[in-house]
Amino acid sequence: MKARILDALGRSRAEYAELRLRRVWSTTVLVRDRTVEVATGSAETGGAVRCCSPGTGWGMASFSGADRLDAPVLKAHELSLAGASRQPVTLAPIAVRQLESAAPLEDDPREVPLTEKRQRGESLAAAIFGSDRRIVSARVLCRDVVIETWLATSEGTWLHDLRSEVSVAALAVAEEGGNVERALGSLAARGGWRGANSAGRMVHGVATRAVEHLHAAPVRPGRYTVVLDPAAAGVLVHRAISHLARPALPGTDPDVLPMGTRIGPECLSVGDDPTAEGLRASIVCDDEGTVARRTPIVQNGVVVGHLHNRETAASSGQAPTGHARAGALRGAPHPRASNTYVAQGTGSFEDLIRGIGTGLYLMDTLSARAEGDQIGLRAGSARLIRDGRLADQVKGVQIGAGLLSLLGRVDAVGADFGWNAAGEVCRDGSAGVVPVTTGAPHVRLVDVPVGEGFS
Amino acid sequence: MIGRILDALAGRVASADAVIKTDDTLSVSISPEGDTRVSEARSHQSHLRVARQGRIGFASATGDESSELVGRAMASAASGEELELFLPAPAPLPNVVTRAPQSAAADAAVLTGLARALRDRLVRSHRRVEVWAERSSGGVQVANTRAVLAGYAVTLSGVGAVVESIGAESAPPCRVHYAAVDLPTLADLEALVAEVDRRLEPAVLSGAGRLSGLPVCFTPRALVTFLRPVRAALTGYEALLGRSPLRGRLGEPVLDERLTLVDDPLIPGRPGSRPVDDDGVVSRRVSLVERGRLIGFASDLMVGSRAGVPSTGHAWRLPHAAPRVGLTNLLVEAGTHSPEALLAELGRGVLIEDLDWGAGTNPVSGTIVLRAPWAYLVEGGAVRGRLEGVVLSGNVFEALRRVRAIGSDATWLGASCLPALAVEGLEMVTSYQ
Repeated sequence: MKARILDALGRSRAEYAELRLRRVWSTTVLVRDRTVEVATGSAETGGAVRCCSPGTGWGMASFSGADRLDAPVLKAHELSLAGASRQPVTLAPIAVRQLESAAPLEDDPREVPLTEKRQRGESLAAAIFGSDRRIVSARVLCRDVVIETWLATSEGTWLHDLRSEVSVAALAVAEEGGNVERALGSLAARGGWRGANSAGRMVHGVATRAVEHLHAAPVRPGRYTVVLDPAAAGVLVHRAISHLARPALPGTDPDVLPMGTRIGPECLSVGDDPTAEGLRASIVCDDEGTVARRTPIVQNGVVVGHLHNRETAASSGQAPTGHARAGALRGAPHPRASNTYVAQGTGSFEDLIRGIGTGLYLMDTLSARAEGDQIGLRAGSARLIRDGRLADQVKGVQIGAGLLSLLGRVDAVGADFGWNAAGEVCRDGSAGVVPVTTGAPHVRLVDVPVGEGFS
Repeated sequence: MIGRILDALAGRVASADAVIKTDDTLSVSISPEGDTRVSEARSHQSHLRVARQGRIGFASATGDESSELVGRAMASAASGEELELFLPAPAPLPNVVTRAPQSAAADAAVLTGLARALRDRLVRSHRRVEVWAERSSGGVQVANTRAVLAGYAVTLSGVGAVVESIGAESAPPCRVHYAAVDLPTLADLEALVAEVDRRLEPAVLSGAGRLSGLPVCFTPRALVTFLRPVRAALTGYEALLGRSPLRGRLGEPVLDERLTLVDDPLIPGRPGSRPVDDDGVVSRRVSLVERGRLIGFASDLMVGSRAGVPSTGHAWRLPHAAPRVGLTNLLVEAGTHSPEALLAELGRGVLIEDLDWGAGTNPVSGTIVLRAPWAYLVEGGAVRGRLEGVVLSGNVFEALRRVRAIGSDATWLGASCLPALAVEGLEMVTSYQ
């Protein structure tokens, strides 16, 4: 394959050209209630060629299969001549790397028979129904994927990577006396088939939450002191900060947090670490061949860094951070977050809720959505905090506020940092979908507007 | 090639069908700074479904993986759902316009010209404008072991823009787009420009007072989003076997008697137009709701088999996903109110130009909590100003039983042709402020 890719790339007449080829094997098992509706495998090969030359814009040609790699190389150059750029496309310099990390996978999911994967899905669905007689519907989606990537550039970069990932997502619906509630959950892990062995605990938790929601009272809208669990804190920070810490993508919000802006208290430090070991979004080099590095974004409440690809780094006079990620098999690499974290603070969970007269403890998220300078976050489940202790379950909790005003309300960060095991993804318009991981300790915010939403 | 795939299965399966989709998409985008980027994406997808020993299996592949397709589909059948699948026999196809020659022939220069034409019309001082133009050209082939072999060529062209008011507090990006089989005309571009102007020009209104209980008027673009639960409730598994609030109510009045909903794949030149579905079932017009009464659901072969009903020709095969049921072109019958009469009918009310669909809202039950970043207060038949931070809540089905008026201005937006619609019974707050 290497010879074919380099041969095709060698035919480019552009000053800079890059060819990325990806082969993706995946298996999907979907169980609805007790019926296996889907048990299937697929394979897809495709990629993209980008190129530019002095006085031209980017030209990009993407393709299916790997039969004729020279055709998209020539097409990309032709398209780059049809584009136009006021400023020449400038790429920040990077060290040229040649990296082979495609050793055979341990516990390769491709070697596990589909029947075994089906059995996992069926037993997880059965476990949801077995949790409580009030569970009336369940859905379990088991997926595994193996991705092999080849990247070559006209500068001499060569990467070859092979990785795998397994995931399980579950939905449980509980019903009692005409009241219907649901709960969702997921887990995803980099690595082989056994990486999802703990899914049983996850689906049990989903079923338990759905039943608990049946008797939870709707939250009373108002302003509360709110403690976010690590999962909710991580999602909030991913949406609130990492999207505003990189230059705008086509069709997305152009706002970028300026360096030096204070957006939170001293106790708040945030970053993105694509080098964190063993996570789904962790990489050695990004989709442009830049060595990835841990990038502080907010240090003690002040913006200190942005996430870059080579082009945005050059245009802002900074070094690329290794955050160029292609959101689709045939997509262009854009600056995207990978493993976003809230740095560990001090104090335990008990320390954070001590002293709260009436507050809310938000666990997990159903959704987090940012538009313009507003963010809305819906809790997966929530409990009241009363006189410094956890109290009754409440449902329908959503917080909505200005992004920066919400971060300004952070007043304490706990010491109990952990990476979230859920199967999180980041969707970003035309830039596509990439897997991400978030990590955080418990985080406390004061005077947060809380409304009642759909649970 | 599709014949080779099915030939490879001879004697090994009870039945099988295959779909091959090819596509060549050319895209041009122009950044607010005026930089033009051009890209091309080619794809070739093969989908195979087999019935073997009473179980269904399917697999998909791209390009050179087709040789492995058969093995994967057979393995899938060994673990697949137990289901009887009755594949259709060959039948004459209706004549439907799915391809426009000038769209298929559009090159980067044509698309750049379209994008620039839109951009030039949208640019004003204090605006940041990004535009794109795109065309795709390809084909669909469907075949099965009962000798169905059908195919048709497809084009789809579109233009769109993201426009922001520079300096306007909390103004979200204004997104508009147009898509059809043929290239957009000048009138189509002008319609997008008029919509952007209409949305951006009203000033932000402070102190609008209590919104709760006011009637709401959705423009066609906002209605596309608002009707998502209706689409889900009328489609596929949820409609026939799941938790759709419309399940089991065929023949009953379920919406306001002035509402008529039709799905029509035979309309020429729209994104959902096609002569045959991805199961090989010949396309036909399907009445879904007639004068508020539930007439039918959309299904495909698999959902139909599970529910014991015939397919309505609504199967879609998407890359690397299970076969699914989806509408083609959804039409809501226009009413009698002109845009002016509709606003006058509202009295004091809220006009919603676009809605922000958020995850977490229940697409099946119709219970919604939606942000309405483009909402306007209407008084005395005129727009008084834009409202910030409006959140709309309630139930879509209940609101559609309380229709106040239907516009006479049915407009095509992608694969939907919808009028403006005024309803009651939704709650509105401005909790994000």
